[in-house]
Amino acid sequence: MAEPRVLIVGAGLAGLAAAVGLARAGFASLVVDQARAPGGAIHRQPLPGVAAHGLPAQRRRWQNLRAEVTAEGDRIEILCNHRFAGIDADGVALLTGERSRFIRPAAVILATGATERVVPVPGWTLPGVTTVGAIQTQLKTTGEPPAGRVLLAGSGPLLCAAAAELAAAGNPPVAIVEAGRPFRHAADALALPAGYLAEASAHLARLLLARVPIRCGMHLSRIDRHGDTLVARAEGGGRHLDFAVDRIGLHDGIRPNGYGAAGTTVPVALAGDAREALGARAALEDGRRAGAALAARLAGRPVPPDMSPALERERAAQQRLRRIHAHDLGARLVAIGDDTVLCRCENRTAGDLRALGGDPTDRELRLRGRFAMGRCQGRFCGEWVRRLQGDDPADAPLGAVRLPVRPLPLADLIDAGEPDEEN
Amino acid sequence: MARPPDYDVAVLGAGIVGASAAWHLARRGMRVVVIDASGPAAAASGASDGAVSVASKKPGVMARLANRSLAYTRRLAEAGGPLRGVFGDRPSYYLATSPAEEQALGDLVAKIAALGGPARVTADGAKAGPDGVGPSVTRCVALAGEGHMLGYAAVAAYLAQAGVDRLWPVTVEALEADDAGVTVSLTDRNLRVAKVVAALGTSSTALFPGLPVTPRTGQLVVTDRAPPGSLPGPLTAASYLVAKSASPGAPDKPPVVIDPLSTGQFLIGSSREEHGDCARTDFATVRRLAARAAEFWPALRARHVVRIFAGVRAAVSDGLPIVGPLTQSPRVVLATGFEGDGICLSGLMGREVAAMVAGEAVSAGAEADIAALSPARFSRREARAR
Repeated sequence: MAEPRVLIVGAGLAGLAAAVGLARAGFASLVVDQARAPGGAIHRQPLPGVAAHGLPAQRRRWQNLRAEVTAEGDRIEILCNHRFAGIDADGVALLTGERSRFIRPAAVILATGATERVVPVPGWTLPGVTTVGAIQTQLKTTGEPPAGRVLLAGSGPLLCAAAAELAAAGNPPVAIVEAGRPFRHAADALALPAGYLAEASAHLARLLLARVPIRCGMHLSRIDRHGDTLVARAEGGGRHLDFAVDRIGLHDGIRPNGYGAAGTTVPVALAGDAREALGARAALEDGRRAGAALAARLAGRPVPPDMSPALERERAAQQRLRRIHAHDLGARLVAIGDDTVLCRCENRTAGDLRALGGDPTDRELRLRGRFAMGRCQGRFCGEWVRRLQGDDPADAPLGAVRLPVRPLPLADLIDAGEPDEEN
Repeated sequence: MARPPDYDVAVLGAGIVGASAAWHLARRGMRVVVIDASGPAAAASGASDGAVSVASKKPGVMARLANRSLAYTRRLAEAGGPLRGVFGDRPSYYLATSPAEEQALGDLVAKIAALGGPARVTADGAKAGPDGVGPSVTRCVALAGEGHMLGYAAVAAYLAQAGVDRLWPVTVEALEADDAGVTVSLTDRNLRVAKVVAALGTSSTALFPGLPVTPRTGQLVVTDRAPPGSLPGPLTAASYLVAKSASPGAPDKPPVVIDPLSTGQFLIGSSREEHGDCARTDFATVRRLAARAAEFWPALRARHVVRIFAGVRAAVSDGLPIVGPLTQSPRVVLATGFEGDGICLSGLMGREVAAMVAGEAVSAGAEADIAALSPARFSRREARAR
């Protein structure tokens, strides 16, 4: 086996920036990504023959980073189409894919981005209802927007961004339902960094041009399927609106996807949105920081601080955005009926949670409630279970996070061979 | 001096043995409180595969008691019983891929015959396994009469129907027995009880440092769902029978058990490791389990692993549980050290422990086997309450 390298999970902005940071300090890394090509969620690469997407400034940012990676030569190896199953108590990591294998990395950086939050409403698990991110992924990889009438609902700046992308691709959504009232926060909006404002203005101009209505102060209270049509009811401010559409994108912000960072013997660090969901600008900066910090740690030098002025600025901007989109989430949760699915992996409802009675332990939530016991291990339902239980903060996992970090084909586990075999 | 007791009995430990004892005590009209450091089914009971198996028990005392408990558990699952809907009947299969394992299956057939039911052999031979068993299996013994009972479900059912008070998460700091009762010292107060049942599993040595109980870890794999019913009952490697009967050590081939859950998922277990760390999982160990499991049931290769976890069993130096009153403090009755046999033995042990607390005789015919579990066998290093 070659001298141990750093394993970086995720070849997006943060992961590749971390690889460059490590390489410049003399450390080799292997960057693994599940996609066909590097890019991550922000710079997801189109299928062959599909035109590249995104604003020119964004494309330049990505091309510059790719050039920096190339300049480091064989200090950075990128392995696509492979998945990280986790790293165990012996410091053995499992990568699965075309050639599944065990490796013993010197350290791990998780640059696995963020996952989207979706506040559960009756019908959110129906076919045709996805996250807004899934609609963006389809758009970025195929160049085609979803066909038919699209509704985007939830809260946060991504709704307008995705709606503008859909409009640019020729199929603007029939409406945006935004739970907050962002246009009532002019002072906060004007205090955003210039780049944010420019981006938001460009999106809003496109939405205006495409006549996309933005229904503020409203949220979806249920989704039903009638034949081929999804009917979504939006409520708020004492009124309601029904939308008959073909596709619904839901989005209520993002949360870090830093699973897999516990229970091993080698250093594990988080970079980019996986550490703190601060968006694309911060991901590049934080990736460089994470790479340099890990290099210092491995070399026994003093580790630099984990925040920089640039990251502090991004954090302040994200806080401002949250204020702009603030709304009463509690009121939305109180209205969740017993038949609303919380955990789609195991099809567990709010009624199942309430049936556990009084004050169940985390163990009971798992064993009797079967929450966090499915394929996603509670990444998606954990927050809502916690919030319905009245727990604050609501981000603590429901019990220990287990290996593998994502469902692992049993055949891949077997075929990976013994951990210390040459393969 | 001594105030009147708050409860007739404090049951320490809300695992399956403690929950069964609590139910049996409450049924006798006693006022019972169940105390646990974290909550119900928090250790081995919540990490088990739920097999109620006689076949896997060491011949002799353990096999006889397990057989008696299986018959009793089946009664507890009848209409009106606490385990109705929790315990279920199912076939079970024991598989061999080598001459040594075939020999172990021969011993199994003889053991089952000697016990005289409710478990019985329904088929024996190279083709006796369910459809889909791998080609390297050379002999299979199929049994009827064993069953399945998820530990956490049994705990929840016993506690729900016992009508007992519950205290968790609460740590018991010390026990002090006198002529009139026992003082149970909790972190913030004391409870006064007439008697104590200590069903503390791997935590036993915190209160009873002299007990030769050590945690033994097992790692398990949980898969995603196949269509339910593709495997009618658990597949157990014959090497598991050998491993349970011999002293611990790592056999060449892991003694794997493939347990089909009602959801269509499979539970594949388990390793036996002496470190006792229930947070430790490693790919090398579960890979060997998975490889062996796929040899027995090749369809597993199409499944995904959704979770790997470890549980700890309370192992006793001589391989037998510890059940009975402490010689020095007979108001304290121990029920611990079941090392993975607690699911099967919990029904009977709850009943016998309740009889001991009430000062009555244990079940007729089981006296000698139950006496063999007495903590008095360690009397030279007496497990005294601290």
